[in-house]
Amino acid sequence: MTATVLIIDDSLTVRMDLAEAFDAAGFRPLTGSTIREARTAIATQTIDLIILDVLLPDGDGVELLGEIRSRPALRDLPVLMLSSEADVADRIRGVQTGADDYVGKPYDNSFVVARGRELLGQRDSESPDAAAINTILVIDDSATFREELKRALGQSGYRVITATTGEEGLRLAAGSRPTALIVDGVMPGMDGATVIRKLRLDVALRGLPCLLLTASEEQDAELRALDAGADAFVRKEEDLDVILARLAAIVRNTSTGAEDISSLASPKRILAVDDSMTYLHELAFALRDEGYDVVLAHSGEEAIELLSVQSVDCILLDLLMPGIGGQESCRRIKASPQLRNTPLIMLTAVEDRQTLVAGLGTGADDYIAKSSEFDVLRARIQVQIRRKQFEDENRRIREQLLHSKLEAAEARAARELAEAKAMLVEELEYKNKELEAFSYSVSHDLRAPLRGIDGFSQALLEDYTDRLDETGQNYLSRIRAAAQRMGQLIDDMLLLSRVGRAQIERERVDLSGLAQAVTDELRRQDPDRRIVLEIQSGLVTQADRGLMRVLLDNLLGNAWKFTARTADARIDFKMQEHENKRVFLVQDNGAGFDMAHAGTLFKPFHRLHAVADFPGTGIGLATCQRVVDRHGGRIWAEGAVGRGASVYFTVPPSREKGQL
Amino acid sequence: MNRSNVILLVEDNSDDEEITLRAFRKSAIANEVVVVRDGVEALDYMFATGTHAGRSMKPLPAVILLDLKLPKLGGLEVLRRLRAEDSTRRVPVVVLTSSNEEKDVLSSYDLGANSFVRKPVDFTQFMEAARQLGLYWLVINEPAPG
Repeated sequence: MTATVLIIDDSLTVRMDLAEAFDAAGFRPLTGSTIREARTAIATQTIDLIILDVLLPDGDGVELLGEIRSRPALRDLPVLMLSSEADVADRIRGVQTGADDYVGKPYDNSFVVARGRELLGQRDSESPDAAAINTILVIDDSATFREELKRALGQSGYRVITATTGEEGLRLAAGSRPTALIVDGVMPGMDGATVIRKLRLDVALRGLPCLLLTASEEQDAELRALDAGADAFVRKEEDLDVILARLAAIVRNTSTGAEDISSLASPKRILAVDDSMTYLHELAFALRDEGYDVVLAHSGEEAIELLSVQSVDCILLDLLMPGIGGQESCRRIKASPQLRNTPLIMLTAVEDRQTLVAGLGTGADDYIAKSSEFDVLRARIQVQIRRKQFEDENRRIREQLLHSKLEAAEARAARELAEAKAMLVEELEYKNKELEAFSYSVSHDLRAPLRGIDGFSQALLEDYTDRLDETGQNYLSRIRAAAQRMGQLIDDMLLLSRVGRAQIERERVDLSGLAQAVTDELRRQDPDRRIVLEIQSGLVTQADRGLMRVLLDNLLGNAWKFTARTADARIDFKMQEHENKRVFLVQDNGAGFDMAHAGTLFKPFHRLHAVADFPGTGIGLATCQRVVDRHGGRIWAEGAVGRGASVYFTVPPSREKGQL
Repeated sequence: MNRSNVILLVEDNSDDEEITLRAFRKSAIANEVVVVRDGVEALDYMFATGTHAGRSMKPLPAVILLDLKLPKLGGLEVLRRLRAEDSTRRVPVVVLTSSNEEKDVLSSYDLGANSFVRKPVDFTQFMEAARQLGLYWLVINEPAPG
C-alpha cells in the first residue's frame, strides 16, 4: 500500500524537491502552499504523513497542527514540522503542540524522507496486521533489474522498497526495518559486500537477512559474499524463481520481533550551541551535507530549553558564551537523567590544557578546537554517536541480565516460601489430625469406664440400700460425685481443645439474644435463684456463633455460679466504649477474686475457690481466653474479694491475614 | 406383623450393656433384648448370615440401639449398610454413643439415623434417655407399614 504524504510549504522549490524525493521513495506526494489548501486536502483525502512549514502566507503552521491534534481521528497522524530558520522557540512551540518531529531548513531531503518513513514505521509497527506483510529492500543500480525484481516480489506478496545505491539502501534499511534485503554485489560507490558488512556492524540491523546478487563469474565470489556476512548468495543470471526461493528460505528462518534499537544509519539530529552565528551556519552547512538534521541554539539557556522538548543524538557546545556559558550548560545537561547519556562535544576557540581539563571535568565526552577541520569534527561526532549506541546496547543487555537475575531470585524466593509454607501447613494438618484422633478416643474410651463406675454405684445405691449403712451409702455417693466430676473435666478439656482447632466462621451474631438464651437456660436449670439480670439490647458483632455461645455460656455461667451466696445478686451484660473500641463486659456482684491472682485466672486448671464452695474444673476461663484469641481480641478481668467480678472482652473486626 | 418387639442392642462394652438392660428393667420395658457385640455380628443378625445363618430375617427388630465404636465394623458402617438394603431401610436406628463429636452426630443423621443419644455419665440421665426411647419407639411410634 502506498502511503500518501501531504507537503505544505509556500516555497515551490521545497515542494518540488520533497515531492520528488518522497515519490522516489515510493510515497504518493500531495502538495499545497497554504493552510487553506492543507485543510481541504486533510478533509478530502486519506493522509498518512504531513510535512508542514511553519510560516505560511495565510497563517501559522503550528496553529494548523493544533487544529489537527484536536481532532480525534487525526490525533495520531504523523506530522513533521519544517521551518526556515531553526529558531529554538519555534521548535519548542511545534514539539509542544504535538509535532512528531521538527526539521530545520535548509534540510537534507533524504533526512526528511528517512524521518518520515521512520514516523510511519512507528505507526505501522503498532498495528497488528502490519507484521504479517514482509517488506523486502532491493538495492541495485540497474533500473531494469530493480523493476523486474519488484514485480516478481510483488506477485509473491512481498512489499518492496528500492534503493539505487548502497548508501541510500542503508538509510532505508534503518528507517523502514525491512524483513530482508536483496543487494547487488557490483555497484558504483559502495558495493554489496560493503553494505552487508556495514549492516552487520549495526546492532539494530545486524539480524537483517541479506541476499547478495552478483553477475560475477569468479569462483571465489560466493566465498567473499559469505565472508561479508550474507545469508544467501545468488548469481544474477539465475532464474528469478531461484532468487524467490532463496529469499523465502531466509525470511522463514528470521526470528520475528525486531529489537527496538535506534540504528546507526537512521537519521541523526545534532544540536549545535554557539553564540557566533557565522560559525553556527558554517557548521550547520557542513553537517547537513552529511545528512544530519542540525538544530541551532545561540545560548546554553536556549539549548537546555530545547532539550527539554526534543531529544538529539549529539550536542556540540561552545565553551565561551554569554549567559550560563559552556561549562555550566554542560554540567546541567550531564546532571539530567534523561540527557546524561547524550554525547556532548565541547567546542572552543582557545586550546590549552587548562580549559580542556575544565571542560572534560564537567562531563563533556570529547573536546575539539574550533580551528579543526570540519572533517575531524564529523569523524568525532560519528565516533561519539557510535559509542553512545554501543553503550545503549550494553546497558540494555546489562539491564536484561539484571532483570532476569532478579526475576530468577524472586521466583526462587517465592518457591522456597511456598514450599516452607506448604510444609508447615502439612505439619499443622498432621498435628491437628493427630490431636483430633486423640480427643476422639478420649471422649469415647475415657468416658466409658466412668459410666460403669457411676452406673453401678447408682445401681448399688438403689437396689441394695437395705444392706448398706449410712457410711457405705456416703462412700458410694462420693464415688459417684468423683466420677461425674471427672466426666465434666473430660468434657471441658475436649471443649477447650476443640475451640483451639475449630474453623472460625464469622457471621453477624446477636450477642444480646445469645446472652438471653444462655440466662434463660440457667434459670430453667435453677428456677429457685432470685437474681437480677440486665442484658443491654442490640449488641451485635461479627464472630463465630458457636464460639460466642461457648464464651457467654462460660462467662454468664460463672457469674451465675459465683453469685449463689450473694443476697440481691445481680448480673449485667453490656458494652462500653474504650478509646473508640467496643468492649463487652459481664459483671456480677458475687464472690469476686483477689486482683493479685488476676494473672492466673485464664490459665487452665487454675482455680481461686475450693470446689466445695463453688464447683468447677478451672477450664472455663481458659476456654474463654482461647475463643477471644481466635477472634484476635483481648480478654481480662477485674474484681475484688466479696465485691464481684467483671470480665471484659473485645471482638475486633476480622483480619484478612494472620490465619494459616 | 412384620415387626417384632425385639430391641437389638449393638454394644461391645459389657458394663454399658448391663446398665442399659437394668435401665430397661427399671423403666418397665419388658421387650426382648437381643445383644450383639460387634458390627459384623449386628449385620449377620439383621441379614441372617454368618453366626446367625438360618435365622429368619423377619420379623425385624422394633428398634436398633447402635453404639458407634464397635470392634470389626464401626457403627456408622453398619448404619450405612442397613440403609442401603430395602429390607432394613426403615428399621428405626438410635445411635447411642459416648462421643458428642459434632461430626459423629452429623454423619449419623446423614446416614439415616432416627435419633442420636449421647450416653451420659450420669446414670439418671441415661435412664431417662433410655426410658424415653423405649416409650417413643415401642409405644408412641407407629411402625412404618411394610
